[in-house]
Amino acid sequence: MSAYAALTGAGFRAQVRDKATLFFTFAFPLLFLVVFGLIFRGQEVEETGRPYISYIAPGVMSWGVANAAVFGVAFTLMQWRRDDLLRLIRMTPTRLPAVLASRYVLALAVGAVQAVVFVAVAMLPLFGLELDVRWPLALPVLVLGITAFLTIGVVIGSYADTPEAVAAIANFLMVPMAFLSGSFLPLDMMPSWLRTVSRVLPLRYLNDAVSAALSGRGGLDDIAIGCGGLLVFTVVFGALALRTFRWSNKA
Amino acid sequence: MASVPDEAATDAAIVVDAIRKRYGDRQAVDGVSLRVNRGEFFGLLGPNGAGKTTLVEIMEGLREADSGTVTVLGRSPWPRNVALLPRLGVQTQSSAFFVRQTAREHLRIVAALYGAGREDADRTLDSVGLTEQRDVMVENLSGGQRQRLAIASALVHGPELIFLDEPTAALDPQARRDLWKVLRELRSEGRTIVYTTHHLDEAEALCDRVAILVDGSVVALDSPHHLVTAAGAPTRLLIPAERMTERDAAAIPGVDRVFVQGGSLVLETAVSGKVLQAVDALTGLDGVQTRTATLEDVYLELTGTHSTTDTTGATGADGITSTDGTNGAENTERQG
Repeated sequence: MSAYAALTGAGFRAQVRDKATLFFTFAFPLLFLVVFGLIFRGQEVEETGRPYISYIAPGVMSWGVANAAVFGVAFTLMQWRRDDLLRLIRMTPTRLPAVLASRYVLALAVGAVQAVVFVAVAMLPLFGLELDVRWPLALPVLVLGITAFLTIGVVIGSYADTPEAVAAIANFLMVPMAFLSGSFLPLDMMPSWLRTVSRVLPLRYLNDAVSAALSGRGGLDDIAIGCGGLLVFTVVFGALALRTFRWSNKA
Repeated sequence: MASVPDEAATDAAIVVDAIRKRYGDRQAVDGVSLRVNRGEFFGLLGPNGAGKTTLVEIMEGLREADSGTVTVLGRSPWPRNVALLPRLGVQTQSSAFFVRQTAREHLRIVAALYGAGREDADRTLDSVGLTEQRDVMVENLSGGQRQRLAIASALVHGPELIFLDEPTAALDPQARRDLWKVLRELRSEGRTIVYTTHHLDEAEALCDRVAILVDGSVVALDSPHHLVTAAGAPTRLLIPAERMTERDAAAIPGVDRVFVQGGSLVLETAVSGKVLQAVDALTGLDGVQTRTATLEDVYLELTGTHSTTDTTGATGADGITSTDGTNGAENTERQG
């Protein structure tokens, strides 16, 4: 068995054996879908005449997938370093890419399950999401989104030494970003300067591209711009992640 | 006493030459040179903060020395050397387990990280006596079991050079002896073991040579036997106190010092054979015990614990009165 396969298997077992975390990873985005979906049920966004659900469903799903990618890898790295597990790996001939690749595959799997569950619930008559014919394009977009947010998670997990720090930093980034990128409230309702500012946020690109693919709110160019933006963030944070990565908490 | 490393040292597992490492204003390792031979069981002793951990981490390649050179199995361990790593085994912290895995799953993952097989993991689990606990979650293992699993992580891939850091600290006496057996087997297979411990009896029982580190420097490096002999520490004869008076005992030729301890008259001597003959002639040898100096005596002498005793006289330790006001307090209860 390769190191990569062993680490992936270990991560998978650790994930499914932690029932509470597993449940909330999937339930958390659904909770927001239910709350916002019911508040704005049957309503349309004034500025565009589109149903709220066509904004909220892709937005909350993007945020949920991004959130899971950030938290998952950040907690794992922090914990592995604190428990000296990274030191153990450091003393084996296993190379860092194999370690990160196993976390990447796990994050993609979590994101895929999240997306399927989420879309299935959003399509229930209660919420009434209708999928656009371009929906399969959401898959590569989600892969790029998970990749970008995973690199952000690696930076956080390398910087933070305690679970409290991981939660504080990740929430500090992800919660405001969710609002400012239009995950919970349609950006079309926001002032135009805010829409401009949100261009610096990676979640904005994920939201736009997923919305364009899932609910047809936007064209192929929006999907392309979204993917391009996510790639740029991946390169930037990937480089930062490689610089900040630490095998040990000790100097 | 540190041996000088030379280029022809192909039989050396580790050559450390003039290593220094400073943290802030503290000199953790201050010019250490030593050589560990292949197949040797090498003990590294010293008080907390003496620089043992830093020195070992430099040998393992986890830290870079400020100056000096380290060669491990003919290669430099720093920077991270993936060609060298499979030949080294390092005991991990007892916290370093993959979460929510069984003992067996954890060891199989570690084996895979080293490119070793599942059967290696099962065999190693058996050798450290954890076969019965193989399906127990690592979180539910006892302290001693966790420690044995951490040791197994160092052995699973059959390394040539093994670093063990206080491997018996959390073990009960039986498990400790079982581990000694495992370690002696490893040594008999020709593997090199670098062993950090606070248990001096253990170092004496297992190690071919020990280095004693104080304040970042090697203050002694030799076999335990040579260290004990060279220290010239006295042998102690313990005679039931009612058998003779302190005055009579002190009058025996060759007795350097007499004091009473725990109901025994303690005679210190450098010529135990001669004194034993005299005691035999006076009172017979029934109930007389002989205690030779141990590595612990040498260790305490070298690491400075003795500095508190020479001036304290008779008040040095409970139950001790001294006839000549010297260092009864450093007497240890260890059987020679």
